[in-house]
Amino acid sequence: MKAYLSLIRIDLKLAFRQKVVIFFNLLMPLALFMIFAEINRTERSGGIGDVVTMVSVIGILGTGLFGAGMRAAQEREANVLRRYKVAPITPLPLLVASMVTGLAVYMPFVVLMLTVAHVRYGMNVPSNLVSVLVFIALGVTAIRSIGLIVGAVVNSTQESGILVQVLYMSMLFLSGATFPTQMFPAWLLKVSRFVPAAYIVNGLQSILLRHETLWTNWPGAAALLLTTAVGLLLSVKLFRWEKEEKLRPAAKLWLLAVLLPFALPGLWHLYTGA
Amino acid sequence: MSSAAIEVRGLRKSYGEVEAVRGIDFEVAAGEVFALLGPNGAGKTTTVEILEGIRQRTSGDVRVLGFDPDRQKMQLKDRIGVCLQSTNFPDKMRVREALDLFGSFYSQTRGTAALLGRLQLEEKRDAFYGTLSGGQKQRLAIALALVNNPALLFLDEPTSGLDPQVRLEIHALIAQLRAEGCTILLTTHYIEEAERLCDRVAIIDEGRIVALGTPRELQKAGEAESSVTILCDQTLIGRNLPAWPGATKTELSDDGRRLTAHSAHPARTLAGMLNWLEVSRIGLEDVRLSRPTLEDVFIAMTGKRLRE
Repeated sequence: MKAYLSLIRIDLKLAFRQKVVIFFNLLMPLALFMIFAEINRTERSGGIGDVVTMVSVIGILGTGLFGAGMRAAQEREANVLRRYKVAPITPLPLLVASMVTGLAVYMPFVVLMLTVAHVRYGMNVPSNLVSVLVFIALGVTAIRSIGLIVGAVVNSTQESGILVQVLYMSMLFLSGATFPTQMFPAWLLKVSRFVPAAYIVNGLQSILLRHETLWTNWPGAAALLLTTAVGLLLSVKLFRWEKEEKLRPAAKLWLLAVLLPFALPGLWHLYTGA
Repeated sequence: MSSAAIEVRGLRKSYGEVEAVRGIDFEVAAGEVFALLGPNGAGKTTTVEILEGIRQRTSGDVRVLGFDPDRQKMQLKDRIGVCLQSTNFPDKMRVREALDLFGSFYSQTRGTAALLGRLQLEEKRDAFYGTLSGGQKQRLAIALALVNNPALLFLDEPTSGLDPQVRLEIHALIAQLRAEGCTILLTTHYIEEAERLCDRVAIIDEGRIVALGTPRELQKAGEAESSVTILCDQTLIGRNLPAWPGATKTELSDDGRRLTAHSAHPARTLAGMLNWLEVSRIGLEDVRLSRPTLEDVFIAMTGKRLRE
C-alpha cells in the first residue's frame, strides 16, 4: 500500500508540474467549451447540455489516450521504467497511479465546466450531479485503461502517437460526440455500437439531458467498469519495463480484448435491430 | 549451506541463436568486492542482470543471498541494491522525492537525509532531476541503490562516461562501502577501477570467464610481463648490447637513448642493466619499472584490447 500511495503522490506532483498537462486537461478543454457554448448560444442549435457532453467526451478521450497511451511509451524509451524494474514492485501500482492521476487531473475540469455552464450559460445544475460525475469518472478510467494497453503494446513513442491518433479520431467521430448519430447512415450507426466512447456519449446525454440516473444507465456503466478491469488486467500482463523487451505482433491483438465489453452489446443491437 | 553472497554454476544465457553467456562459474564471498571485467558485449551486463532477477537464465544454477533470482524475484530485489548502467527519471522529479519514492518500495530503508549527506547531494535535495549534472545523476543512482541498506550491491559500469574527477569521487565512495564490509559486484571496462577497488576480478570475454583471481594473482599468473625502461645520457646505437638476465624482448627508441626490456623477473633484469651501465660508463638519467596491468593480462589471454 505504501508503494501505491507514494506512486500516486509523485504522479500527481509530476502531472501538475507540467504545463502541457494543465494546458491539455484544463485550459484547452475549457477554451473549447467556451467556443462551442458561444456558438451554441448564437445559433441556438441545441442545448448547452449537448456542448457539455461533447466537450466531456473530447476531454475523456484526450486524457485517457494521450495521457496514458503515450506516457508509458515515452518513459520506457527514456529508460525511466527500467529503474522500477529492479525494485520489488509489480507494474500494478504504477498503472493504478496513472489511473488515479488521470482522474485527479481531469475531474476538476468537469466541475469547472459544469460551473461555467451554470453561471454563464444558464444550464440547470443537474438533478443527479453525482451520477454525472460518477459516469464521467467511469469513462475516464475506461478510456485510460485502453490508453494503458496502447502504452504496453507499442514499441516506440512514434508508434504510440499513430495508434493513439487512430483510436482518438475514430472514437471521437463514431461516438456521436461531434456529429449526432442521427446523421449517420445505417451501416455507420451499426459500427458506432461497438465504439466505447459512444456509451459515454449516450450515458451522459441520458443522465444530463433526460435526467436519468447512473442506475438506469447500468449497462453502459457496467461496460465501462468492465473495460477498466479488463484493461488494467491486460496492461499488467503486457507491461514492459524496457524498450528491448519486444512483444510478439500477435500480442497487440490483446488490445481488441478490451473492446469485448462493447462488442457484445454491439452484436446484440445488430442481432435485435434495436 | 555456503556463506557465499553469490554462487553461479554453469550459467548460460541465449538470445535465439546467439549465446551471450556460455557456462560460467564463480562465487562472491560476503564482504568481498568482485569485478567482472571485459569489453563491451562480453556478457557482463547479461550476467549481472540474471543475478539481479531482471533477466531469466537459459540454464545453470544461481543463488544470490540464498535466493533463486528466477523464482524468488521479490524477496531478492528487496535485499539487493542496483545501480544500472543507464537509467533516468522524469525531469521534474526532485532528488529527495526520488529517494522517498524508492524508499517506499522496500521493507527497510535508510533515511533520505542520511543518503543525501553520504552522496553529497544535500544542496541538491530540492533540485529537479533534469537540472543535475552527469556526476550528480550518477550519485543519485548510487544513492537509490543504497536506499534499502542492501546486503549486496550491484554496480553496472558505475563510472562509465563520467569525467575523471567524478570517477575519483565514486571510487572513494566504493572504497568507503568496501571498508564498511558491503558486498559489491561491479562490472567495468576500466582497468584501474578493477585494480584499485576489487578484492577479486573475473575477466570475461565472449561469454566465458577466461581468468579469475586477485588483481595481483592475475598479473603474476598471466603471460604478460613487466617492463624495465632506462633513459641513458647517450645513445646506445652501435653498441653491442648483452642479453639481459630474465629479459625476453628488448626495444630501443629511435634516438637510441631509451632502452626497454620485457621480463618476467624485472628485478634481476634491472640489476643486470644497471651493472652494464656502470661497467660501460654510461650515465643513467631515468629508470622506470612497470608491472603488467590487467589490460596486459587481458591482451595476453584473448589477443584483444578491453575497449575493442
